[in-house]
Amino acid sequence: MPKPEDKKEEPALKGTFASVMLLGAFIILTWIGVFALFMARN
Amino acid sequence: MHLHRLEKTWLKFGISMLAVFLIVLGVMAFSMGMKPPSEHHHTVDPTKVAETAPFDNPGLNQIGKNHYEAVMTAYAFGFEPAVPLEVPVGSKVDFIVTSSDVVHGFAIVGTNVNMMIVPGEVSHVTHTFDKPGEYLILCNEYCGTGHEFMAITIVVQ
Ligand SMILES: [Cu+2]
Repeated sequence: MPKPEDKKEEPALKGTFASVMLLGAFIILTWIGVFALFMARN
Repeated sequence: MHLHRLEKTWLKFGISMLAVFLIVLGVMAFSMGMKPPSEHHHTVDPTKVAETAPFDNPGLNQIGKNHYEAVMTAYAFGFEPAVPLEVPVGSKVDFIVTSSDVVHGFAIVGTNVNMMIVPGEVSHVTHTFDKPGEYLILCNEYCGTGHEFMAITIVVQ
């Protein structure tokens, strides 16, 4: 049986958060790169 | 549903990223007139390309000050006109291209011009050549054994 305080415990998502942000940064940088290339060639 | 504080953060981040990308795309589509090459829906009988205007007389026509129209046909394995096109620097060129046989590509190296040439359809694209040089026009859709010979140039001077 879970103790009442177990219910309040949050999962540790710091590492997940960091990897999501890294992936987000990668997507933003590649998007900006493609966009800049498009504008330069227009 | 319970969401972790960090989960909420990355969801907001992801959704706003998507929103920014789509807004930039949407605004540019209107402000810069960006549209797919199939925007004008014109058709032609692919078996009668050589007799159908304007493809009965392919070539470069001046239609205004610094404004040209390039009527071209892609075929296995070449482009019509086959001679290099010549335009002055700063010219705006409207390319009007169709195919008399199979699907070809039409890409101008170093520019954003890149479209498919589908038999029966007339593809349009416009490009302004601000830098002098020799631009390579290539077929980039594999169309058969002579595909690599499908290239011509446009000279901007
Ligand atoms: Cu081809």
